Amino acid sequence: MPSLGYERAGAVTARLEERLTDRLVGEQSVSRRTVLGSLGVAGSAALGLGSTRGSASAGHEDDEDHHGNFGAVDEYRDRDFDPHEFLRAFNTGRNGQDAVPQDVYEEDGRTVREFEFTAVDVPITIAPGVEFSAWAYNGQVPGPTIRAVEGDLIRVRFENFGRHGHTIHPHVKNVNPAMDGIPQNGPGVIDAGEDPFTYEWIAQPAGVHFYHCHSLPLKEHLHRGLYGAIIVDPDPERVRENPADYTNDHPSQITDALVEDMVAEAKTRNHEYDENDAVDEMVMVMNSFDTNFDGGNEVYAANTRAFAYGVGETDGKGNWKPGETKRPIQIDKTRRQRVYLVNATEFDLVNSFHTHSQFFDYYDHGTTLTPTHQTIDTVMQCQAQRGIVELDYSDHQPGLYMFHAHQSEFAELGWMSFFEVV
Amino acid sequence: MSDESETDGGVVRETDARPFGLPRWVSLLLPLVLLAVVLGVFVVGSPLPETGGQPLPDVSITHTTIPDDETVVLHATNNGPDSVTISQVLVDEAYWNFEVRGAGGDRTLAPMESARVVLPYHWNPGWDLEAVLVLSDGATFHHAIVAPSETPGLTLDLLWTLALVGLFVGVIPVALGMLWFPAIRSMSDRWLHAILLFAVGVLGFLAVDAGFEALELAEQVPSAFEGTALVVLGVLGSLLLVQSVSAWRQGRAASGDSRASSGLWIAYLVALGIGLHNLAEGLAIGSSFALGRVSLGAFLVVGFMLHNVTEGPAVVAPVARGERPALGHFAALGVLAGAPVILGGWIGSLAYSPTLGAVFLAIGVGAILQVSWEIAGLVREGNGRLASATNMLAFLAGLAVMYVTDLFVAL
Ligand SMILES: [Cu+2]
Repeated sequence: MPSLGYERAGAVTARLEERLTDRLVGEQSVSRRTVLGSLGVAGSAALGLGSTRGSASAGHEDDEDHHGNFGAVDEYRDRDFDPHEFLRAFNTGRNGQDAVPQDVYEEDGRTVREFEFTAVDVPITIAPGVEFSAWAYNGQVPGPTIRAVEGDLIRVRFENFGRHGHTIHPHVKNVNPAMDGIPQNGPGVIDAGEDPFTYEWIAQPAGVHFYHCHSLPLKEHLHRGLYGAIIVDPDPERVRENPADYTNDHPSQITDALVEDMVAEAKTRNHEYDENDAVDEMVMVMNSFDTNFDGGNEVYAANTRAFAYGVGETDGKGNWKPGETKRPIQIDKTRRQRVYLVNATEFDLVNSFHTHSQFFDYYDHGTTLTPTHQTIDTVMQCQAQRGIVELDYSDHQPGLYMFHAHQSEFAELGWMSFFEVV
Repeated sequence: MSDESETDGGVVRETDARPFGLPRWVSLLLPLVLLAVVLGVFVVGSPLPETGGQPLPDVSITHTTIPDDETVVLHATNNGPDSVTISQVLVDEAYWNFEVRGAGGDRTLAPMESARVVLPYHWNPGWDLEAVLVLSDGATFHHAIVAPSETPGLTLDLLWTLALVGLFVGVIPVALGMLWFPAIRSMSDRWLHAILLFAVGVLGFLAVDAGFEALELAEQVPSAFEGTALVVLGVLGSLLLVQSVSAWRQGRAASGDSRASSGLWIAYLVALGIGLHNLAEGLAIGSSFALGRVSLGAFLVVGFMLHNVTEGPAVVAPVARGERPALGHFAALGVLAGAPVILGGWIGSLAYSPTLGAVFLAIGVGAILQVSWEIAGLVREGNGRLASATNMLAFLAGLAVMYVTDLFVAL
């Protein structure tokens, strides 16, 4: 193509670019309506008719120059479930929530952690003033967090008081098909009024896991609230003996020093070791609710209540006030922070966790003691995916640090939170 | 036409003065008393078995006003039989702060109660918004705010603007149209009848057009107020009302009142019908202002002027025969037919609601229908054949002219 030199090609490109930007700028500053009525505007000017916009102030009572602010209006009046309490409530059999009957004992040289679960139909408050007809384990959404140590036997006696048949399906390595908690196997669904069934699972592998009802239709039984977290603490002795099970590193890379590091990390993760007391641990189950049955969610949250870990009130100018029931999560900057993060969002493919002004280490599924992602500020989880987020705020100034789903839609629909570093 | 001789003039007949031996007032009240008793039994005793099922909440957002560039106001009405509580509001899929005003200080709307939901929202002119009311049970009610622009508040400026608009699109064209009077007067009966039929075509088109518009608006009327039924009632009501005025006039004429038998009566009736129609037209203009929905341009004004100038001859055609009325009558006819545009504009901008709009349109339709009937009668009385070829073509021309000029006025 001899006639088309680089110079001319460049000039043509520049002209096209200019035309494009001109058109875009024009479109942005002129509304569709004005374009449609542009002839008309000229006409009205000629007739001396006043502009249709202007000095209107009737009906506007306050003159504050604010843009308004997103966030649910009002506080939570129903106190049956408190996301702040749930955040740090672990049921170990030895201690846990009053509403969850539990026990711990030895049987054939194995620690057994026993829990009583019930399924009930109950209205829960998901945004101030907005009720959702939930199906819930022990009357709460998410269900109680079960915590055991690797190799323990978890025994869950399940009784159904709801209208539908339900199950409990655990995301642990389970070698007995009858205990899988699906309609097609073992006891199948446990119907309302049927004799209670006792599920038994060995706590393995170490990590943060998920349990949920597996009745059909699946979507409905899940998004109505029948789900929760199982945390399996790593056993430091077992880590020392089988270090390769707890890292993605190749066995040739596993040095004695790494093993010692992993054993130390395992102790901080195991609730029966003193090292664990130094860590501030939290459970966040990302969930969502379809209130109008259109297959899309109206409310998103971490631990059910929209904006529960947000600020109570804001004037839209950066002046925040904690609310009675909507308030930031207060954390001690000298302690290490650990979030057991579970994605129970229904209808959306993924959810995410994003921290402001902070990077974290992430352990996918929590099954390793070395991070699967290092120094990231956003992590994505598919439905039922979970992981451990480890944060260090020791060099941050005290104050509010936001964290939220970085699907901005989810954030503005409730999954928006703050850490208040003190 | 006189039916004076056929009625009893309201004199009580003496037959069965004491049914069942009871005084007459007792027999009049008895059914009402029994009805009250039966209703009482029903309310207190609720004899029907439990029917099960719950009424669904039903809230409509009739319209939006935008008082300034930081505020959006949704006008909501509870249509359902139960109270509803607006717990949260979504704007473009985000929970937003809001205030409910006009519901007695809380966020709960009793059945048929209306309230304003005030959102502090920095909107962008021309960028659509989607607002959603979330009720306490999670039910949602959507409202799209298409191409938002500021609603002018109530100012003298606005009233003046609307008066000016009314003058241009209502009074002036009708007055101009009336200037055809001398020409119409000099016409033969045949052509006069053609002009009258042309006027009927004009009115017929207006009736159809306004009727559809009323039904369209009726869909926005909160369902608690039964929009469609309201329109039907409005049409029939005004039709019968104007008809009764007309029948009264005929009664007077038959009993020898010469004024009542003149064409001037019909001219006034036509002016009234057109005036009612123009009131609805003004309402549409005013409410478009109120909703910030008008770019009132040359097209619109020119369209309205062309549209309304044909209403002038319709008004004066009935007085083409006989003595020419005093000039004062012409002025009065012009004002009656044209000035309601101004009045409608003011009402529409101050107190817009789809309900009001639908009612006014329906009233206009009813009046127009009656007036068309009246003009047809005029032609028949003038020994004209209503369905002559000329007349039919004139009628068609009336429809066609209105259709063409209406193309300019698609608000
Ligand atoms: Cu289920």
